[in-house]
This record gives sequence, structure tokens and C-alpha cells, in this order.
Amino acid sequence: MLSCKKTTELIEKKSFVGLSYKEEIQLRLHTCICDSCTNYKKQSVILDNIVHHLIHSDNQKDLTMNNILKEKIIQSISKK
Amino acid sequence: MGTNIDISNPGLAIKSWVELYTDKMFTWAFYKTSHKEVAEDLVQDTFVVAYESIHKFEGKSDPQTWLFSILKNKIAAHYRRVYQQPIINESEYKSNNKDSLSIFFDEIGNWRKEQEPKDWKTDEGELLDDSAFVKVLGLCMGKLPANWEAAIKLKFLEEKKGEEICQELEITTTNFWQILHRAKLNLRKCLELNWFKK
Repeated sequence: MLSCKKTTELIEKKSFVGLSYKEEIQLRLHTCICDSCTNYKKQSVILDNIVHHLIHSDNQKDLTMNNILKEKIIQSISKK
Repeated sequence: MGTNIDISNPGLAIKSWVELYTDKMFTWAFYKTSHKEVAEDLVQDTFVVAYESIHKFEGKSDPQTWLFSILKNKIAAHYRRVYQQPIINESEYKSNNKDSLSIFFDEIGNWRKEQEPKDWKTDEGELLDDSAFVKVLGLCMGKLPANWEAAIKLKFLEEKKGEEICQELEITTTNFWQILHRAKLNLRKCLELNWFKK
């Protein structure tokens, strides 16, 4: 049986690169009997979706910051 | 011949690349160096070098690949200057090592009693609509070490799968998702403390 620590690793690995069949089974077996990891799994998915949504709508602000950098770069090249 | 860029006007080509690739290059450089000013300088230097050696480009590979190869050399040189040793890859990740996980898990790998995730009794729809929550999330993300925050941003800025991101940027998949793992554990904890325990 997986430890909780290993289970949380697999939960993140799943959202990043996916799991092997064996890993998927191990994950489900553990979360079946572990409330804490079940909660962690739900919350990890929620956070992924929220952060994904925010980063894409937040791009306005990030774009402004990088716009200053882009201007600076273009200036320095124009001088050459 | 048959190049896509107009070498008679390299300035124009570079400008379009600045628009297209700066965001990605900056995020990547920030992830590697954890310093905003250093990352900005490295990206700027990269474009200057690209401009000066654009005749070498010849449209053979895709511009992003070419720019990233220049950027990676710059980052390597930066590390050599700063740390007087070859590129740090594994060792910098090891500094975010197992010790930071022992806060959450005991020796056998079970959750410590006080760290056990509680049921939040909510869904993401509710949370996204709540601007106060979004603010707390921003603060919690800001508390993460810079490269963790950057790792999360890299993951979500690209629509591609994790493996593709790592292949493209030539980092180990394992290292990258381990950093995401630590970041997520801490982010979740911060939110549970500052939002859900009210």
C-alpha cells in the first residue's frame, strides 16, 4: 500500500504527465481508504483549475510587465 | 535559400520575435535563476546576440529553438560567473529536498495529524467568483519560493502536456513535477490556513 506522501506525489504526477496503469490502481486503492488523501486529491484538482483560469485571465497584468521589458529590448536593438 | 525571415531587414524580424517569445523566455529564465532582474537582462542579452548574429540563423530551425539555445548558453555562463562551477541542475533542485516534505509527512510517509487535509466543502466555481479568495490565493502564491511559483506558471502558460514542455525546454520531467508537488503541498496548506479555517 502506498504511503500518503507517495500518493500525493502520484496525484501531482497524474496532472502533469499522467500515470501508468499500475500507478493509477495504486492511487485509487489508497484514496479509497484514506480521507486525507481523498481531500487532497479534490483540492489539487480545484487548485489546478483555478490557477489555470487565473493565469490566463491574469495575462493582462503580466503582459504589461513584460511589455516594459519588450520595449527596453527593442530600444537597445534599435541603437545598434 | 528559402528563408522565412527577411534578412535585409533583420530589425523587423527581431522585433516580431521579441513580441512572440519574450514572455516564454522570461518565464523560463526566471524559473532557472529565481531573479527578475537577472532574467530580464539575460533575455535582453539574448535578443542582442540574436540580432548581431541573425545571418547565422538562415531560417534553418524554428526561431524559438534558436533563441532558447542562445538563452541557455547565457544562463550557463551566468551560473559559471556566479557559482564558479558548471550548470547547476540537479543540485539546485535538491535544495528543495526531502526536508521540506517532512513538515507534512512522518517517517513512514503518512500525513502528520495536524497536516491532514480537511474537506473544503466547496467547488472551484464558488471560489473563482470570490475576489477575496483570489486575493488570498495570490498572496499564497507569492509566498512560494520564486522558482516554485515560476514552475506553476510555466505549467499553465503552455497548453501543451507536461512531457512536451520538458522536452522543449530540456529539463527532466521528474525534477519539474517534483517541484510542482512541493509547491502544491505548500499552496494548499497556505490556503487551508488562511481561508478555510475561518
